[in-house]
Amino acid sequence: MGNNAWFLMIPILVPLIGGILVSACHMEQRRLRQGFVMATVILNSVFVWAAIFWLQGKEFRLVELSQSMSLTLSLDGLGCVFAGMVAVLWPIASVYAFEYMKHEGGEVRFFKYYTMTYGVTLGVAFSHNLVTMYLFYEMLTLITLPLVMHSKTDAAKAAGRKYLVFSIGGASLAFIGMVFLYHVVGDATFTAGGMMAVQGLAAAKGQNLLTIFVITFIGFGVKAALFPFHGWLPTAGVAPTTVTALLHAVAVVKAGAFAVIRITYYLFGADVLRRTWAQNVVLLLAAFTIVLGSAKALKEQHVKRRLAYSTISNLSYILLGAALMTPLGLQAALTHMIAHAFIKITLFYCAGSIIYKAHYEYVPQMVGLAGRMPVVMGCFTIGSLALMGIPLLPAFISKAGLLTGIVELGTPAAYIGMGALLISAVLTAYYLFSIVIRAYFPGKGFDITSNQDARDPNWLMKGPLILLCIICLLLGLFPGRLLEFFADIAAGLF
Amino acid sequence: MGLICILLPIIGGIWLLYKKRQTYFVRLVLLLHVLLTGILLFLPDTSWVVWKLTDQLNIVLKTDGLSRIFLAMVSLIWLVVSVYAQDYLEHDENPIRFFAFYLLTLGGLTGLCLAGNFMTLYLFFEAMSLLSVPLVLHTMTREAVAAALKYLIYSIAGASMALIGFFILLHYGSIEFAAGGTLSAAVISEHRDILLAGALFTVVGFGTKAGIFPMHSWLPTAHPVAPAPASAVLSGVITKAGIFAVIRVVYYQFGVELIAGSWVQYVWIILSLISVLMGSTLAFKEQILKKRLAYSSVSQLSYILFGLGTLTPTGFVGAVLHVVCHSVIKNGLFLGAGAVIHQTHKTKVRELDGIGKVMPVTMTCFTICALALVGIPPSGGFVSKWNLIAGSLESGLGLISWLGPVILLVSAVLTAGYLLGISVQAFITGKDKNGAAAGQEVSGRMRNSQMLLAFLAVVLGVFSGPLISYLETIAGGLF
Repeated sequence: MGNNAWFLMIPILVPLIGGILVSACHMEQRRLRQGFVMATVILNSVFVWAAIFWLQGKEFRLVELSQSMSLTLSLDGLGCVFAGMVAVLWPIASVYAFEYMKHEGGEVRFFKYYTMTYGVTLGVAFSHNLVTMYLFYEMLTLITLPLVMHSKTDAAKAAGRKYLVFSIGGASLAFIGMVFLYHVVGDATFTAGGMMAVQGLAAAKGQNLLTIFVITFIGFGVKAALFPFHGWLPTAGVAPTTVTALLHAVAVVKAGAFAVIRITYYLFGADVLRRTWAQNVVLLLAAFTIVLGSAKALKEQHVKRRLAYSTISNLSYILLGAALMTPLGLQAALTHMIAHAFIKITLFYCAGSIIYKAHYEYVPQMVGLAGRMPVVMGCFTIGSLALMGIPLLPAFISKAGLLTGIVELGTPAAYIGMGALLISAVLTAYYLFSIVIRAYFPGKGFDITSNQDARDPNWLMKGPLILLCIICLLLGLFPGRLLEFFADIAAGLF
Repeated sequence: MGLICILLPIIGGIWLLYKKRQTYFVRLVLLLHVLLTGILLFLPDTSWVVWKLTDQLNIVLKTDGLSRIFLAMVSLIWLVVSVYAQDYLEHDENPIRFFAFYLLTLGGLTGLCLAGNFMTLYLFFEAMSLLSVPLVLHTMTREAVAAALKYLIYSIAGASMALIGFFILLHYGSIEFAAGGTLSAAVISEHRDILLAGALFTVVGFGTKAGIFPMHSWLPTAHPVAPAPASAVLSGVITKAGIFAVIRVVYYQFGVELIAGSWVQYVWIILSLISVLMGSTLAFKEQILKKRLAYSSVSQLSYILFGLGTLTPTGFVGAVLHVVCHSVIKNGLFLGAGAVIHQTHKTKVRELDGIGKVMPVTMTCFTICALALVGIPPSGGFVSKWNLIAGSLESGLGLISWLGPVILLVSAVLTAGYLLGISVQAFITGKDKNGAAAGQEVSGRMRNSQMLLAFLAVVLGVFSGPLISYLETIAGGLF
């Protein structure tokens, strides 16, 4: 172990301390607060990337709880993917949040928790074993709760409660898995290829093991909005759009997906699980969630909730990929994790800009909006095309991986997953393009003067939006390096 | 070269959206496109990797015999119809937007014709579907918007089904197009069932664009609501993109060997025969002229799919020949219908009594095209149907090889009924009707487009020799 591994703590601590300082120093002055938050976030992203480049494979023990249980940080390939993604998105999202939060109020409180969440999310990424991850996972729930309830309306409080119940409930399911692992295996360190394979315990504990796997999968799947525990996500859409965009499309929900990948590939082990009934169960759950999310999105008329349902569906793309338990499946899951992150945040920011400038929250209100907000609707169109999976845009690569992975696995449950993906692609096109088409082609007799106030927002909002779009396009056009990196990660596991 | 051919109309279309030029600009772009296509026709076969996404997924453009035929057809018809459209849309609110998307759609189609692998094909297939949606909803009525969404959903659903085949091929073989198929014999024998299922999904998926039963219902909804020039290219040319994709996937990917004699071939042929019969019957019953023509397309396109489904060289030749003939003819018919609507605002068949007296050129061209579609010698339709039927008899599919021709002939009779009835009504007014319908002949440019298409419909039949021998060379490489 290198002696500079302690540096892994820095990216977790900096935002936590920064967030506390925001409220402790009563940074009511907008310029000061924004400068401070921005500096903290950017500095921290630099730290994260520094860690990615120099600290891979190092581990740092924080506390020893017992002989087999400790809080330990480390950074491996999978952690790099998650941490790297978050580190790119957080500064961009912060810029957007500065402008957006002006109309929500309560900015000090907001940016306190917003910044602290950054650290906790990285904690999940840097966890070396299940206990550490469980700790940060619970912290993530608690620290984002004030963000969900930000507006302090009854609806927001109810949403917060629902969020809390679902998340804690999910975590307790995962807790069962953790206890089991410590009891049976005596250790829950993330090991490439899984503990079971290493210790040869799979055969002895066969059926129990699979049941526990399914419980743990569903438990962590709650954060990734897996059916039947998906209900919290659309409800939590009452939070300010910046929260829904960054946390409920990327950081929090992807932490769920990340945890699922961890337990599948690093604890239980893909080789043990492949082609068992447990795999079929999780595959079918993911497949069902995919279709359910898309179908609900189609029915939903509230733009943000529609996007939230879309997130439910897309998160299960990731879970489906993870559940394939093949190198290709994992690679596709990671690709979709990245692709969906950038695409969905773009879409949410478009919706946020529309809410911010025009105060429109429902789909029918967006008729003819493209004439008024060309940049926002342009970005929305690119995001829609990307999410549909048009070639040359990022989601196509991940879908190609997912579907080829399905053909490779070739079990009936996998083919059901394929059907779900394709049905969902059609529904995705429908629920996004019904917005796009109406925005560009308002229809006969449309009153052009009707949404006069709607304008493209200023550069603080437009800038991040355009930047995200460009990143989307680049990801789609140059996926080579990234895919190689994912392939390396996947190759280490089998 | 191919890339320029694709980008030219796309850039032209985008430029048009922003700069709002019209008449000369559109014609200039289209003329250049025809010119470039002409040059491309005489260049040797090429294949060029434009962009490498990953080792397996890349964008490839290539020219071969099949792409030449389709490209020439698309490019020429696009120019002819654009001349007509300029006068047709004279009083339209937003002709610029129409022409912009008209050009953009051409870009997508050109890319489709030049696609060198499945991924490129899929990319341009989606691009073309999306870019042609504004053509359908051009009038922006409630009805048009609903039709456009239906069109969009069916297109995407079809493409999604086709993707099943894409991923199966990606895993088991290669997605590059190669005459005769890309699957090795070992893979075929080992994974026969899954490959066949993939092939069926792909055929029906791309067939959606060509209105194959049970994915046909968008076609009679979407085509008639568009302005006449758009209905013409939608029905006459864009549907052929589906046919083209089916040819590429079946003959250049899965291979004839896999499908011939399997249950997939039977399902395919039966579906196409159902579409033939159903399209003709519904067209016969339909009273709205443009809708009748759209149903007619459902039926005629399935002639082509039937020909392809026989998996014989003759059937293939007949099918591609019918692609070209039907393109010319259906465009001619829709332009005729559009001319009537433009001058008289009459949309129903029974309102057309005596229209031939006031619009003699339009109705004469319409009649020539109608005769050609029925398959009266020496028109183009005759030659292609001859080959289709011969192909069916060669196919050796037992009962179906006899049932097919019977259904095609029954459908031809129905075609005569639903098209020639209109001509009769237009030229021969009964005694008890007061003959002179109101209105006058369309402008010179619109007349010229129609006359050219009617002329081509006949010429294609009379001088079909070179085209047939060219097609036979292509077919020679596939079987």
